[in-house]
Amino acid sequence: MWVKETKPLGKRLLFEQVVLPHLDAIYSAALRLVRNRDDANDLVQETMLRSFRFFDQFAEGTNCRAWLLSILYNNFRDHYHRSGRERPCNSGEIELELEAHTLLADMSLNNPEELLEDRMLGRRIGRALNELPEEFRQALMLVDVQELNYQEVADVLGVPLGTVKSRVSRGRALIRASLIRSDCIRSKTGT
Amino acid sequence: MDCLEYISEYLAAHADNELSLVEQHAAETHLSGCAQCRGRLISERVLKRAILQQAGIAKAPAELRLRIRAALNDPAGVPATTPSNGGWRRLGRRSCDIPRRAPVEPAADRRQRRKRVWIPIGITSSVFVLLALLSGQVIRQSGAMDNRAVPAFDIAISKYLQFGREFHPNVPPEAYDSSNGVLYAWVMDRNSVQQVAEDDPESDDISRSYREADMPGDLFDFSAAGYHITGGRVDHLPDGRRVTYTMYQSDAGQILSLCFSDSEMAAPIGAVEWVGMRSFYAYKGYSICLTFYPTGHFISILVTRMPVYQLLSEVASNDVVAMNR
Repeated sequence: MWVKETKPLGKRLLFEQVVLPHLDAIYSAALRLVRNRDDANDLVQETMLRSFRFFDQFAEGTNCRAWLLSILYNNFRDHYHRSGRERPCNSGEIELELEAHTLLADMSLNNPEELLEDRMLGRRIGRALNELPEEFRQALMLVDVQELNYQEVADVLGVPLGTVKSRVSRGRALIRASLIRSDCIRSKTGT
Repeated sequence: MDCLEYISEYLAAHADNELSLVEQHAAETHLSGCAQCRGRLISERVLKRAILQQAGIAKAPAELRLRIRAALNDPAGVPATTPSNGGWRRLGRRSCDIPRRAPVEPAADRRQRRKRVWIPIGITSSVFVLLALLSGQVIRQSGAMDNRAVPAFDIAISKYLQFGREFHPNVPPEAYDSSNGVLYAWVMDRNSVQQVAEDDPESDDISRSYREADMPGDLFDFSAAGYHITGGRVDHLPDGRRVTYTMYQSDAGQILSLCFSDSEMAAPIGAVEWVGMRSFYAYKGYSICLTFYPTGHFISILVTRMPVYQLLSEVASNDVVAMNR
């Protein structure tokens, strides 16, 4: 015996199918924004609720992750960024959590030395990212990790397209410089 | 175009495929005559891939997924239950509480507890669903699980089929002996099914056995639907985690309940319905009810052949009975 689907049930099912697969990516972005697990949970929950309330405004066929990240960044700016308060920062713990869940693209690295080298490189890149100015780090994360195009990043951050291009370019240049510096230090100290 | 201009104005966007047609032509013209910049482009793309690989996508905690799913059932808002942290104000509007997982109660307290059926969070919604079902409304099976593999569900189905052919309970308590590491060797000499079925109340022994094995002692009550408890079994999953199996039997078929600890599992997408901490699925021709316990990171999985809406009805009836005790 079948029954017509009620509209709320249909909307929720569709929302689960379309939006919830992006939860991990949104959580990662929130974690890097607020640097605190509890606040990241709250920020993500608020983002998901808001996206559910305005799900009718999401245009089918467009980039859902970009839409969700826009909501996330708006929430972040509204509730956290403007408060000016010092927030508890668990950077080391956050980096370990992100490292533990890193999706390694190349699983064929079964050589322990290569794995160790890969992990050390990962930590150096992680440190270099943390040392970046906030606006450069946000732009790089959205382009390289969240895989948004420049226009989507501009919409999420609320800045001109040219600003995004500049931030991505300078951000990568700074990371390269940081990696070169750490290479120099390693070669001098033998580590 | 010289190298400095290429590096400062084109390199990053070139690696990201963000150049316009005109810019692309200009960049490639420069690269055709500059090996160093060709190397820089390769290096930029390698760095981009390395950032993607190493920066990481963290898995959202299971509790967060639960909170979001519960909030979707009540879009007016759910309070954050995380403690105040350094003066940060909470987000949004709050209208109800979703409990977080609490520490497991001490063993002594558990032993003193009488058997009781678990009363779920959100009992009001369970009653509402039951009334809706009784009034003739049923839930359409979404079919959204058709292409998704859920390892925990596959284990449950495998055990359902195995125990459907032959089920060897190893409780009541005298059967459970962890001192020599063997939990179920004795059952081969006894007709334990009949033994347990003749005990009254046999479920007390099963429940107590589960608790003494540091597992939840809660059992379902499907007696109104004609199901009686066949028996219980304490065992181990392939990875060593302890698991309990409880078999319910009626003329119409069987329901197998599995319970084990899993702090990482999140409710799969594609649930037909959510009721409090329970979610219902149509999965590979079976009906599944997944329940997250509020304490100890335990989950329970009910698996049966009955249609999912019927399972939902039976579980909702169980919840109403528990509420009225």
